Amino acid sequence: MLETRKLCKSFGAIDVTKSVSIKLERGERRVILGPNGAGKTTLFNQLVGELRPDSGEIHLAGEDVTALPVAARTRRGLSRSYQKNTLFDGLTVEENLSLAAAVATGHESSMWVDSLTRPDVREIVQEVANQVNLMPYLHAKVSAVSYGVRRQLEVGVALATRPLVLLMDEPTSGVGPEMSKGFHDLLNNLPRDLTLLIIEHDMDLAFDVADTITVLNYGEVVFDGEPEAARGSSLLKEIYLGSWEDA
Amino acid sequence: MTPALLTAGPLALDASFWVLQGLNALQLSMLLFLLSVGLTVIFGLMHFVNLAHGSLYAMGAYVAASAAGLMGYWAGVLLAPLAVAAFGVLLYWGLIRRMRRSGPMAQVLVTFGLIFVMLDLTRIVWGDLALAAPMPELLSGRLTILGLEYPIYRLVIIVLGGLIYGGLYWVLSRTQIGAMIRAGVDNDAMASCLGINVEQLFFLVFCVGCALAGLAGAVAAPLLSVTPEMGLSILIPTLIVIVIGGLGSLKGAIAGSLIFGFVQTFGAVLAPQLASVLIYALLAAVLVIKPVGLFPARG
Amino acid sequence: MFRHTPFRYATLALLAALAVLYTLNAEYFGLELVAEIAVLAILVLALDMVAGFGGMVSLCHGALMGIGAYAYALLTTAGGLTAPVGMLGAIAITAAFAWVIGAICSRSHGIYFIMATLAMGQMAYSYVFEAPIFGGDDGLSGISRLDLSLIGLDLNDGRSFAFFCLVMLGLAYGFSALVLSSGLGRSLSGVMHSEQRMRALGACVWRVKADMFGVSGGIAGLAGVLAAQHVMFVSPGLLAWTVSGEALVVVILGGLGTLVGPLVGAVAFIMLKHEISDMTSYWHLVVGLILIAVVMSGANGIFGWIESQVERWRPRRAAMTDEEIRKREVLSDA
Repeated sequence: MLETRKLCKSFGAIDVTKSVSIKLERGERRVILGPNGAGKTTLFNQLVGELRPDSGEIHLAGEDVTALPVAARTRRGLSRSYQKNTLFDGLTVEENLSLAAAVATGHESSMWVDSLTRPDVREIVQEVANQVNLMPYLHAKVSAVSYGVRRQLEVGVALATRPLVLLMDEPTSGVGPEMSKGFHDLLNNLPRDLTLLIIEHDMDLAFDVADTITVLNYGEVVFDGEPEAARGSSLLKEIYLGSWEDA
Repeated sequence: MTPALLTAGPLALDASFWVLQGLNALQLSMLLFLLSVGLTVIFGLMHFVNLAHGSLYAMGAYVAASAAGLMGYWAGVLLAPLAVAAFGVLLYWGLIRRMRRSGPMAQVLVTFGLIFVMLDLTRIVWGDLALAAPMPELLSGRLTILGLEYPIYRLVIIVLGGLIYGGLYWVLSRTQIGAMIRAGVDNDAMASCLGINVEQLFFLVFCVGCALAGLAGAVAAPLLSVTPEMGLSILIPTLIVIVIGGLGSLKGAIAGSLIFGFVQTFGAVLAPQLASVLIYALLAAVLVIKPVGLFPARG
Repeated sequence: MFRHTPFRYATLALLAALAVLYTLNAEYFGLELVAEIAVLAILVLALDMVAGFGGMVSLCHGALMGIGAYAYALLTTAGGLTAPVGMLGAIAITAAFAWVIGAICSRSHGIYFIMATLAMGQMAYSYVFEAPIFGGDDGLSGISRLDLSLIGLDLNDGRSFAFFCLVMLGLAYGFSALVLSSGLGRSLSGVMHSEQRMRALGACVWRVKADMFGVSGGIAGLAGVLAAQHVMFVSPGLLAWTVSGEALVVVILGGLGTLVGPLVGAVAFIMLKHEISDMTSYWHLVVGLILIAVVMSGANGIFGWIESQVERWRPRRAAMTDEEIRKREVLSDA
């Protein structure tokens, strides 16, 4: 479904992505682990097209998308949520979801039809709002809801584009343990054929939801395999030292 | 049209033509530099767009012209920057400081309003008629360079612009206060964490910017007739200069000024039909290729 | 995002009623005033569409209006077209110019966008000034108004022309409201709030901007056509950047991003201008002070301020108060 081939990227003398090759099957749920500065978000930015890789290829559903801009990749089914909330702050929760659904249904450039009231748009908004528990906040302005709700919306907006592959950049960053648990339920609510690539710091959550795990260190893939195998790996213990004991 | 083609063609223009136009271009560039450098550094440091900068220039010209009439040319040239800087102090405490937290849109609008206010204030104080400023005896002659007679006064403007550029370059790159300003332009939040009093720095830079605008008005006064609209008519060229050069940098201000001066001057003599459109087309081209200008203060 | 509220409908109805009553009873000077207000109102509607709903603060809308006026003048005089075809042609030409400007400037933001549009406008101004077919400083004359004798109207009559301008204003308003409530209008709101996210959602950001700028330009073109028909003469002054600046002042005075506000602003601006000009020759001083006061007050113009007062007094049901949100969050956490 999503594949990288020998992806490389460097900023000056620092290699932030070193020949990264990963392959996700349809419906696979993969978690990317790695310490701060391992190049996880940089990898994401290349996958979605916000950064151009120096070399290597990115394939989405069998098509080479390496040269395509962000919007074109999204239209082909790649969607992302951000680690740092990137929402339409002045608008309501419902409007945020609707804008995403409008693009997904092709109403975003119509000059005559109100995309917000289209039945197909409304349907997606309702569905996503249920999935990510946003029903109570639909009419509230984003700037007025709590941080936790915004995190949920961040994922909701990405989901409302109706993606084939969803990239989530630390969906639980900055929220408490209660929310992390809620997020776990959220993932279980998602359709099984949706391919997920998640950057996550919470080990419990990572091992819980992942079919496969990729570990990045200094821009390099140092582990790629089943969570069970990861648990036993001594290499990982070294990288994660302190937090590993908690897991 | 390349210079080589021109000189080789039937229109063969001699060296003195190029020297003359080159000097004219330089003189225009330096005048614009005096104006744009204050505006651009104020923007770089405070993210503040002061559209009324041109009005400060007009004010400088009026003060210089009036003072020259009473106390002679040199008093005017000295007094104008001081008077405009003093007015800048009032502006800073009355308006600018309160507008620091507002968005660029609000700042553009308030200073746009200020243009209107200052326009009518100059009309109230000095009247609608154009004022003529005298040229000092000492500088009113002509100098022969490369077989060409050129007004000393215009040469003085070129030298003055060069000196101010050199002085600012030295202050910004070699002194403590320059390092502080550069730090503030780069990241004002970080700079204030380092113990730099950014607010005080803003005030200082704002006043210096105003004084330079006043100085530009004073030295331009004997060359032009001093009218209430002169501030408005210089505003657009100044803005073009800083946008081409890139907001916030000294290098951008000098580069933008030179580009404007030369394109304008040579455009007017070589392609008169296109001259007025040329500079705007250039600005549009720069913005399309490099949307933040040639030498922006921040990458 | 753009929405009609009962208060906005009420304001529109009130404005329309006042305009009709005034036009029915006005003398020559009053009718001139109505036409002048209607032209300005159409121009500021166009500007508010892009500035208030897309964050594209344009300083070339005066120039776009001028392009519309010159296009109409040339199409109907030298071009020999009839007035209705000339009007449509002029609007289409202006929209095309605006679309190109919007596309070119779509990468610039903030002050750079303002400067880029200023450059585009000044380029048009300089060109019109220089090129012989536009008549240079003298402008073009001999422009005729639309012939509506088929339905028994003579637009050379001041009252009929004032009503004609009002009808055009009504159409322009309806069209703006329609487009702002469309998929394109909604996308534009998204672009204003977060261009990055909009791109990540799969929208083509520059197209959204260019399309809306084109629509806005078409409306500015209509203002130009009416301005040309009103005075039956066009001059380069129409394209000057100060016209764009003045339009921006009117939008701010009325209330940016409300669409109704700029209409209020246009009425207030023209009335004020004539009142103050009668009293003093320092009209700019007064306008400048008002502008500074309005912006510094933090209120969103005259209409925006009244609207916020009305809303505070009677909170809309759609938007929850912070109190309610907190209550619901507590409930859902439990």
